Amino acid sequence: MTVEAALVRLRQGDSAGALALLSSRLPDAAAEQSACDAALGMVLLAEDRPAEALVMLRAAVALGDISPATLLNLALAEDRAGEPNRARGLMHELERRLPDWDEPPLRIAESLRAAGETAAAEAAYTRALEIDPRRIEALVALGALMVVRGAGAEAQGLLLRACGIAPGNAEAWDALGLALMLTDEANLAQTAFAEAQRLAPRTLDFALHLVDAAIAAGAGEAELARLEQLGQHDPLNVALLMAQGALAEKLGRRAAAIDALEAAVALAPDEKLPAAWLGSTLARTDRPREAEAALARAMMLDPDNAQLVSNHAAVLIRLYRHAEAHAALTALIARDGPQVAALCNLANATVSLGQQEAAVATARQAIALQPDAVLPWRALCNSLPYRDGTSATELLQALRSCAALLPRQAMAAFANTPHPDRRLRIGLLSGNLRTHPVGWLTIAGFETLDPTAFDIVCLGRNAAPDPIALRFAAVASEWHETDSLTDAALAAHARALGIDILIDLGGYGDQGRLPACALRLAPVQVKWVGMQNHSTGLAEMDWFITDAIETPPELEHGYSERMLRLPDGYVCYSPPPNAPAVGPLPALANGYVTFGCFNNLAKITPRVIATWADILHRVPGARLVLKTHQFSDPPTAALIRAAFAGHAIAPARIVLRGSSGHRAFLAEYNDIDLVLDPFPYAGGLTTCEALWMGVPTLTVPGEIFASRHSASHLTNVGLADWVAPDLAAYVAMAVAKAADLDGLAALRAGLRARTKTSRLCDAPRFGRHLGAALRHAWRDWCARTTPCTTGAAG
Amino acid sequence: MDLQISVDAESLTRRVADLIDTRRIGAARPLLAAARRMAPSSPRLAELSALLALREGRLDLAQAELDRAIADAPEHAGLRKYRADLRRQLGDRVGATQDAAEAVILDRNDPAAKALLGLLLLDLGQSADAVRCLHEAVADAPANPSFREGLSSALVACGNEADAAATLAEGIAAAPGSVALRNAAILLAVRRYDFAAAVQWADDALAAGVADACLFGLKGHALSSLGQHAEAADAYTEALKLRPDDPYVRHLVAASGAVAGAERAPNEYLRAVFDGYADRFETHLISLGYRVPGLIRAALLHRLDISDGARIGPVLDLGCGTGLLALAISDLPLGPVVGVDLSPRMLAAAAEKQLYAELREADLMHVLATDATSWPLILAADVLCYIGALDDVLAAVHARLPPGGLFVFSVEELPADTAEAWGPGGKARYRHGLSYVRQAATAAGFTVHAIDREVLRYEIDAPVPGLLAVLGRAGDDR
Repeated sequence: MTVEAALVRLRQGDSAGALALLSSRLPDAAAEQSACDAALGMVLLAEDRPAEALVMLRAAVALGDISPATLLNLALAEDRAGEPNRARGLMHELERRLPDWDEPPLRIAESLRAAGETAAAEAAYTRALEIDPRRIEALVALGALMVVRGAGAEAQGLLLRACGIAPGNAEAWDALGLALMLTDEANLAQTAFAEAQRLAPRTLDFALHLVDAAIAAGAGEAELARLEQLGQHDPLNVALLMAQGALAEKLGRRAAAIDALEAAVALAPDEKLPAAWLGSTLARTDRPREAEAALARAMMLDPDNAQLVSNHAAVLIRLYRHAEAHAALTALIARDGPQVAALCNLANATVSLGQQEAAVATARQAIALQPDAVLPWRALCNSLPYRDGTSATELLQALRSCAALLPRQAMAAFANTPHPDRRLRIGLLSGNLRTHPVGWLTIAGFETLDPTAFDIVCLGRNAAPDPIALRFAAVASEWHETDSLTDAALAAHARALGIDILIDLGGYGDQGRLPACALRLAPVQVKWVGMQNHSTGLAEMDWFITDAIETPPELEHGYSERMLRLPDGYVCYSPPPNAPAVGPLPALANGYVTFGCFNNLAKITPRVIATWADILHRVPGARLVLKTHQFSDPPTAALIRAAFAGHAIAPARIVLRGSSGHRAFLAEYNDIDLVLDPFPYAGGLTTCEALWMGVPTLTVPGEIFASRHSASHLTNVGLADWVAPDLAAYVAMAVAKAADLDGLAALRAGLRARTKTSRLCDAPRFGRHLGAALRHAWRDWCARTTPCTTGAAG
Repeated sequence: MDLQISVDAESLTRRVADLIDTRRIGAARPLLAAARRMAPSSPRLAELSALLALREGRLDLAQAELDRAIADAPEHAGLRKYRADLRRQLGDRVGATQDAAEAVILDRNDPAAKALLGLLLLDLGQSADAVRCLHEAVADAPANPSFREGLSSALVACGNEADAAATLAEGIAAAPGSVALRNAAILLAVRRYDFAAAVQWADDALAAGVADACLFGLKGHALSSLGQHAEAADAYTEALKLRPDDPYVRHLVAASGAVAGAERAPNEYLRAVFDGYADRFETHLISLGYRVPGLIRAALLHRLDISDGARIGPVLDLGCGTGLLALAISDLPLGPVVGVDLSPRMLAAAAEKQLYAELREADLMHVLATDATSWPLILAADVLCYIGALDDVLAAVHARLPPGGLFVFSVEELPADTAEAWGPGGKARYRHGLSYVRQAATAAGFTVHAIDREVLRYEIDAPVPGLLAVLGRAGDDR
């Protein structure tokens, strides 16, 4: 009686009640005891307590209960308690004894499937279906296994049957959708997934599968509208918001994606997935602060996720919190062992802390782990230019190795009309066509390019419009968003646009798309500003915009491209409209000379520190002001102070300043008498800004491109006498300039006006030069494409 | 996998408010729906819904939301304040003022409500009361730049330009980063013909790091008024760098000779600058490159003898719209100006400019037929394009001009190769042929001083060609 009552309760879903009933009663006979134990075992199994169930069921069998149901339950308990072989033995025994019962083969299949033995599992499911072709669990599971091995058509038959038999089974519809996706029937798959979602609206996987199907069917926008509509009726459904976020991101509508994910996180703040998605989506934007907060939250919810730690560190690097990134990555590598992604991020953090040798070593460690991956080589190429003593040959070799690994695929020949004099479509490829060094140094050139000869097309990102982004938008006839395009899609897109000359303005940088250039976006490809620290090493990059100071003929061997040497400087500086006024020479009021350097800490090598210490020893009383983001972090600043102390420089003589707004940054040049350029990586935009603020820079150029920026800019404002031929001269000139306060004051007073009218800022002149260089590159292609006709056009 | 909700309605509501504040409308919308599903309706949620709808520009939705919520909670100050703002946007100034007054009574400590009431009173022409309200708002929240800006407008409306300037100066000291206050100060100086002060205000702003297209444009205007054309051209060039997408700025720069290839002397073109440039209400028109007010201004400078500073008036502005034309001529000795338009919303916007002696909601033919006033200057910017045959209107205008009086108007031009006198254009407009306009003007008794081909505005980057006619009534033709 009790046993039956308990079983009734169990069937009603009240396993706790059943358990209470069974435990409260003392049986009076062995038969009754065994029935009671068997029932108790079954209930415990339902309660997911397999170890206890096993004890009861073994006892029941020992007492003589060898009914098929008890034996099968015993097998299930064995299986779940970690004894699959014993379990399957029992099940096989039952299958032999009762060949018309579908339960044993079904349970065998489930056990095998859980163990990853998919082929044997499929065979067992098939046996179960031979006995009962309508057994829904077997149909769905076998169909899903077929989907996993890619047998879409085969799976569809089974799953259609499953959906027919059990139209309320969401899993069946979902599996059917997956099977249809395998045979490229995205439209039908959409219908199947939609049914699964209707049946189980809060299941994230179904919603995400539907997103994939909609994209594949070209119905992404409609699906997005549908999700919004659904959300209005079911506003507490987080899965809908997640799907909306995933879909909007895939459609290239990142702001909408972030909004949806933000809403998902707000509703389900304790779930890992929304936080991780929001963080990684934000990390792809220029909102690193928000990305950092979101990723930090995701890490709290999912501390074991190494990917999150690495992504978080990458965002910290973008926020100039290099020391924190360094610490987090070092800890991650100590915990999980060396991983390529973590090592590459670590190399980038390390170089930015001024530890160039260590950064190069870390990048090489990553290369050793995975020699044919691009990322470690990129990390190496991003570290080498900063390291003291890197030769142009060594750097080019690394750049070539990196570029050679970029994926390539066969593409059609270009159909651009090879007419040497026609109007050309110039594509600007960069995520930084905005207020950014790329913008400050190139926009004036594009604005003054002859619009009758060149048509400008921007291939960039739809970031928030800032003043320089507006200028790019105004000068371009078209603006194409490239963020959501893969490299191959980007190449196809650019080719469809009929770009004649592609100018890469991103390199391997943060938003750079240089890897796409390996697929050739245009018949003529040119490298200009934007992580242009040296050659690209990319065989498909045809030309390199430079000037005679940046790349004199004797240094050309260090480049893989041909040179487009502009007659003056290789860039045209656009000074900011709201720069503070130039102040008087601070030394006159201070009574001592203040040297300064506002360059990135990555450029400050141990040898730079030693050289500056030497200069400070020779100019008694002088101070050195170093300003860079990294000094907002006190431990980082302390390391640099210690480095100077190691050269016997009193701490008071070294002033370290951290981040500030751009205008405040410029205003601080009013505290500086002259700038000492770092080496080998010289100042670029920083040198231009110092000139605009009336402060000259003393520089010592080297072999690689990045070491010669200041020399080019200074020469173009008529300050070639601030370019030192070697390190000894650099020291001697620093001492001599510091002694000539009248000279410094006179130079300072006229420097902004001089810069404004100099070749560095002469936009119309620069535009003509740039136009001529691009035309030269184009004619070269025409000549090589149709040698006969160009000869005639001459 | 199902994702579990773990947030309560209250913190969700706070989050929605934050998101609306930071203009994250796309994230606020789904969360507000969630909050409404989780909690019973409340004035706070209604307030947020209305605010969200306002931010999205869905005014009808906001109105329905607020009407319902205020019926449920008539004592809720916040709801009143939002409805006042909404009604103001819808042109219901009286209703808006009632709501704002109610909000001030319900919450005496809310400076935003006081400022809103002040601005509404200003709209209604009650400048003295407006000054009092805005004074209180400024006293409660001294750092708020928009309250100061409103107070300064109210003081100007009371004729107290000196205090207005002082208010702006205090505001700038309290909120040095406020571009709006900086521009308002420059604009006020221009209106007072104190161009040197305008340049000084602009330079102060630049020294403080404010870089704004409008500011550079106004500086250019002031410099050109001082005859410093090279410096003006520099300022316009900077304006263009900051707003390169704005065809009007582009036009100013080209006109100033700052870029190579400008065809006419800077001097002549600079007169076409109008200070409505600074007015945020006109952003849309200006971004379409609406040039007519500037062209009319230039024509008046060319035709009228205003060198002695004697006022010419009264002036009739037919189809005055939002008052752009009055703005364009506001520093010339013309007036009083009477504006006529059919649209109450346009008239409300025109009233905000405080430049008209009178605004009439009427058909222009009706005014010309029934009002016997003699107007030495009648203007019709972008309104005769709504009339096909011009014969009647030209005759009616002629009858209201005294001898020596001027009628200046614009029409869109038919393509030159069409033979018709006039024909339909787009958007319920007509276009007119040059020879037809000349012949109709002569037939109505006018002396034709000039009918010039001009670009009236830029639509989707295509210039709209038109005619600018300057007609006179001869001294001896009665």
